[in-house]
Amino acid sequence: MRSRQTLAIVLNTFREAVRDRVLYNLIAFALILIASALLFGQISIGIQKTILLNVGLSAISIFGLLIAIFLGIGLVYKEMDKRSLYALLSKPIRRRQFIIGKFLGLNFTLLVNTALMSVGLWAALYYLMRRFEPQDLSVWVAIYFILLELSLVTALCLFFSCFATPVLSAVFTFMAYVIGNFAADIRAFGELTENNLLKGLTTVLYYLLPNFSDFNVSAWVSHGKPVAAEVVLLNTLYALCYDAILVAAAVWIFSRKDLK
Amino acid sequence: MKPSKTGRSVWTLALVLACGWAILVPAQMALDRRLAPYRETPELLWIPSGNVLRSLSLGHNGLLADLYWTRVVQYFGARRLQRRTDFPLLAPLLDITVALDPQLLVAYKFGAIFLSAPSSYGAAEPQKAIALLRRGIQANPEEWRLWHDLGFIYYWDLKDYRAASEAYREGSRHPDAAPWMQVMAAVIEEKGGNRETSRFLWTEIHNSAEDETIRKNASMHLETLRALDDIEELERLAGRFRERAGRWPQSFQEMIAAGLLQGIPADPQKYPYQLQSDGRITLHPNSEVKLDYGPSPEAR
Repeated sequence: MRSRQTLAIVLNTFREAVRDRVLYNLIAFALILIASALLFGQISIGIQKTILLNVGLSAISIFGLLIAIFLGIGLVYKEMDKRSLYALLSKPIRRRQFIIGKFLGLNFTLLVNTALMSVGLWAALYYLMRRFEPQDLSVWVAIYFILLELSLVTALCLFFSCFATPVLSAVFTFMAYVIGNFAADIRAFGELTENNLLKGLTTVLYYLLPNFSDFNVSAWVSHGKPVAAEVVLLNTLYALCYDAILVAAAVWIFSRKDLK
Repeated sequence: MKPSKTGRSVWTLALVLACGWAILVPAQMALDRRLAPYRETPELLWIPSGNVLRSLSLGHNGLLADLYWTRVVQYFGARRLQRRTDFPLLAPLLDITVALDPQLLVAYKFGAIFLSAPSSYGAAEPQKAIALLRRGIQANPEEWRLWHDLGFIYYWDLKDYRAASEAYREGSRHPDAAPWMQVMAAVIEEKGGNRETSRFLWTEIHNSAEDETIRKNASMHLETLRALDDIEELERLAGRFRERAGRWPQSFQEMIAAGLLQGIPADPQKYPYQLQSDGRITLHPNSEVKLDYGPSPEAR
């Protein structure tokens, strides 16, 4: 019963996202960008395929990030603004189901979008090479890592949107994404200092922040190099754990939120 | 019959567009000329550190490396077109490219060619090319071909045959290395620079290059080597004519009549060679075969 209710929220979130026109614009723009990589490769030497894969994977990642942030910030706020949340919660649905349903719904939307953009990328790759090679399979690993990254962004967005306005949620999420990409540098800076306190602090920050650079294997796979299975497993574990922590925190905040 | 109101308005619009276009195009051309000094960008790198750029790329370092590599190609090509012989940004741009993506083999391989080629063809900085390739070998120890590229620069540009032989030997130790790497190490160590070795190396580059520009470059060197062989042989035959007739031949026809040649000899670009009055052989003025780019004077 409970899972059916959550599933209904998941599907409803997906339907709402599909109705949002900005989504189509972003997908179309990403596909055009991927196609333009074919032309871009012509003015370089020896990297046509590499450039196509790098542009394609970056387009999937950047437009996925934009979709995750723009849709994520409205997940809770829109329902409150339209007052549909009150009608929903008057039914036998728990607040945690609402949050989990929204989180899974947006992830499902991102999965569908990423799949569409990936089809575009693979079509462009086939157009360029006229065949697929066994090492091209590593590109799927990079796409999977982008999805893990986007699920983290969604969780962050949902977490912030439980207590901040949409604009602030977008700013916080984007800042967390940027700082998360610098996590390794922050720790490296700390290690350069002689100060043990600073060193400890930067190390704590390193483990506290979402380490987005872990998911970056695009350059690696664009050269046809495989990604170790252990890395795939560890990244999956990392993303699931971080998602669980953030969603749990979002549930905790939302459950105590005064909705009057 | 009077033209309809809609028809008139379409014609009016077309006329306005055409007149506007006729003014806009020359205006833009004049602006392009006048604004040229304002649009000139200084030749400098705003962010000279590849590592900083890598951090700022937010995980899109692969894409940024591709952009920098394209910038390298455009920069090198543009300066060659302008017939400039200085390439101050080439090495820093390559450094940034490989810092962003250490697995971008094309940047090491072709970048080293751009850096090492003599000033009429490239930056004439073989030491920087060697540093770049050594960095590539460190980042990609499984790529034995980088040892071949390194050995080639020692051999062709620096004429350091001992270092070239060592590079080929080091590369030959790689389990996937082609068997000829070991042969090259031995041949270069024994004979130093000679035309046969050069021909083999350029043929190898020609056959393994995936890029048309590099293949053309290798073809150009192979043409040079063939022309050098031809000229050497033709001058030898002219000398034999002189031994028989007591004078230098004045035309190839005389040499053909003497049974020394089958026909008018032509260079690899199909232009006939020129016979000078002192028996020297030169290239046709229209020929683009280069003779001033050899491995070493003794090899000629």
